[in-house]
Amino acid sequence: MDKFANRLRDDAAKLDAEISPQLDNRIQASLTAIEPEAARQRKPGRRVVSFWLASSLTGVAAALAVIAVLNLVDRNEPEMIPRTVAENTVQPIDVPALDLDVKAATLAGPLAQELEDLQADLRKAEEVMRGDVRIDF
Amino acid sequence: MSDELNLIDAAKGGSVDAFTELVRGYRDGLFRFLLTRCTNRADAEDALQDTLINAYRYLGSYNPQWRFSTWLYRIAIRNAGRLRTDDHTELGEPPDHGADPLAHCLAASERENLWRSAKRILSDEVFAAMWLRYVEDMSVRDISNVLERSSSWTKVNLLRGRRALEAEMNSTAGSTGSEAYG
Repeated sequence: MDKFANRLRDDAAKLDAEISPQLDNRIQASLTAIEPEAARQRKPGRRVVSFWLASSLTGVAAALAVIAVLNLVDRNEPEMIPRTVAENTVQPIDVPALDLDVKAATLAGPLAQELEDLQADLRKAEEVMRGDVRIDF
Repeated sequence: MSDELNLIDAAKGGSVDAFTELVRGYRDGLFRFLLTRCTNRADAEDALQDTLINAYRYLGSYNPQWRFSTWLYRIAIRNAGRLRTDDHTELGEPPDHGADPLAHCLAASERENLWRSAKRILSDEVFAAMWLRYVEDMSVRDISNVLERSSSWTKVNLLRGRRALEAEMNSTAGSTGSEAYG
């Protein structure tokens, strides 16, 4: 590291920026009094998940009961249903190719960020210019 | 890093202890930085408190793609700026230079502190960019993100800030007869 960088680092360390116990207590009290948004959003989510789980289990139990009853009935009857009917009802499952856009997103991310930053530059430059014009007149 | 992510997860769930542990390493640096940005020590304390509260409250919006310090400093700069705007609209008076916290944190023997010169000769944004680069050791990309500026703006202004401060440093060294930097 060069002298200039060392000097800046040393000079920053010389600043007396001790956090007083009063400020520390104040911050702790404030933090205890609030709840993070994420935690707040999680609570109703848990209820939804448990409701979904309960209804799914009920559905599965009902389906198993129906299958069991049908199996008992089928055991006493000769096989009447042609196989072709069953085959026609089975449709191939389309598996979506999920990772097709991953590369494009990775490439476009920094560019979009840079574009936002450039637009922010323009906005700030405009504000400065407007301020200067106001000062002139 | 994984420890930090674990603490972030715990804090997101509402653990104040995890959050306190998470920000322990950043608090002092953040406060030092805020002292240089605010008009007095009380404002810097308020800005630190607001920054930590906002960080805790909105931790869910933190993107682990960025360094946690980058995110914290971004919030801190917004808070410090808002406090200054509030002061300006409420009081309508020029800032009290006698209450400059930077001047108060320096002992009389350290008046030639380079950051004091930096505050005098650099704009707020360039000052912040220099601080983040040389004190917090942030990359140009992280600084751009904190200041919501382009990478090219950051690079150019870091170079200009450095040149201006080096000139100041050399002139100070020359006037005091020191050969340390000159």
